[in-house]
Amino acid sequence: MLGELGMRGDGGGCGGLVNAPCPFSGVLAHLSALETESVRLVELQREAWRQQATREELCATVERLRAQRDQLRAKVLSATSLQQVMTEVDQENEEKRSEEEKSAGDSQLHMSLLTARLSHVKNLLRAHHLIGGYDITETRRGKGVCFSIATAFEDRTLETYNVEMDLARTMRICRHNIPPFIPLERLAQENFQSDIMAFLDSLSMHLNAYVGRRQQVRLIQELFHGSVKVLESNALCSILVLRCRQVGEKKAAALCTLEYGDPTRCLPTRVTIDSEEKTLTDSPQWNEIQALFLETPAHQALLAIRREERIA
Amino acid sequence: MERMYEADIKSLQEEIGALQHQLENNENMVTVSHEGPMEVVLSSLRGKPGTEFGKKDMVENLVLELERLEGHLSQQERINRIVLTDCRVKTLERNKSKFVQQHRLSGYCCHLAFQVEFELTEFQDPTASNSVTSLNVVVDGPELREISTFVSRVEDDKSLLLFFRTFREFSERCEHRNRTFMYFKDKYPNVVCLPEGCRADAMTIRSPKLPGCTMNVVWSIDVSKEGLVTPRLELLAKMPEQALSLDRKNVIKNAPDFFQSLLRVVGVEASIDSLIKAVSME
Repeated sequence: MLGELGMRGDGGGCGGLVNAPCPFSGVLAHLSALETESVRLVELQREAWRQQATREELCATVERLRAQRDQLRAKVLSATSLQQVMTEVDQENEEKRSEEEKSAGDSQLHMSLLTARLSHVKNLLRAHHLIGGYDITETRRGKGVCFSIATAFEDRTLETYNVEMDLARTMRICRHNIPPFIPLERLAQENFQSDIMAFLDSLSMHLNAYVGRRQQVRLIQELFHGSVKVLESNALCSILVLRCRQVGEKKAAALCTLEYGDPTRCLPTRVTIDSEEKTLTDSPQWNEIQALFLETPAHQALLAIRREERIA
Repeated sequence: MERMYEADIKSLQEEIGALQHQLENNENMVTVSHEGPMEVVLSSLRGKPGTEFGKKDMVENLVLELERLEGHLSQQERINRIVLTDCRVKTLERNKSKFVQQHRLSGYCCHLAFQVEFELTEFQDPTASNSVTSLNVVVDGPELREISTFVSRVEDDKSLLLFFRTFREFSERCEHRNRTFMYFKDKYPNVVCLPEGCRADAMTIRSPKLPGCTMNVVWSIDVSKEGLVTPRLELLAKMPEQALSLDRKNVIKNAPDFFQSLLRVVGVEASIDSLIKAVSME
């Protein structure tokens, strides 16, 4: 009865009174139900306050952190400029002081420190060269500048190409040793009046893709001496026709044609395989091989196929 | 609501950490360049009248050479967009036919740090090309997940140059993403939330009036095995079931497609901006 009243709330209270055998017990029940209800409400209220407080606290933390971050940002900014100023001021001071301190012992120490620093800087410069940086050389007494572009395929370092630019009024290419089939003029027009770095990047992409394709042809000739024959290729190495012999009684010959439609990549965009045995060319194995050629350099794909003993 | 605050707190704490680190570094640089013997040496040597003629000339030449090389180095850093902070070279083998050196480099490109260790074999025979005989690459930071497959591929193939070409493009793309996310977080601090920090690939847009309705902009930067870097932006809308049933015109369902067309027409920044404006207007 009590629970029922409590559940029904105020409206249900009247019904309880009418039906009750003793008039007082109904009133008491109603009162106690009201009491439970009010306790519940108070608790809810408290809970809501608590949540509100946590939320406010979190909000305050966010604000505090944000302020701290802004302060730090400003500090970092000022520290950078401060550093520059301090370096300048210090240098002036040092120069004044240096008039007074001169001794033979010092100069010996200076010499060795200088040599150490010099060799460190030299090492860093060499490292830039080794990781394929565009080496810059000033030419014609500062009137021109020459950029070197290193190329490599996998672990092999290959040719270095050079582009020399004239720095007079409008920048233009005056000398280079880029192969004629690389669209140098187009790349230059597209990029370099606005952004020399973008020009060098795209030129480097083209050159590296080209030497990569050429190196694959060389590697196939080296690794598959006699068994896989390169029937056709062109200067840009954008097409490659290979003939290999399948393993089996008939030793049927298969012709793989790799077309490199994207000059900035060293993987083909289209692969077709023809075989004397027509039944083989539609088999799932051949589809697998086709997929392999599309995502692996040709010599690696051929090595994998030979490992599986599909070609001789 | 609390979750959003917590994510905010986390990303702010991260950023504060990074800034403090940067500040410390700056201070270190100041102390190094001021107390370090190098600066004293260099500046005290300038215009110093030496006692012995020969020695003075030698020192002067050294100083000039060093200045020239340092200028060259900073030029190289600018054009390569890679800064090398340390470099150690060790000779492993030297004989008539070949010369093997181990190089350990550390440095950074944009805000991505790297450490690379490789062995380079140079052959005396001028017709043979030099080759990288081992390569180990360490890249730190939350972006690692996106580039790790590529990194293990270059380690296998020992493609040192390819790694740096791709890493440079990748870090420039990451920095662009990071900058864009931070810009929107600063511009709309109460709507935009970066749940996994500002260097992660996701940004959450929450409608201030409709809790539970969120839009996630996922900006991933894919690096293929051959080193092609392609950014990809996607919109994921999250709505309570009830709200979805009210969406008769399928606005939410079609939002990802609309977002794609918007991207093609107006570009990344403008697309995200108009998305945020649309969400906070609701």
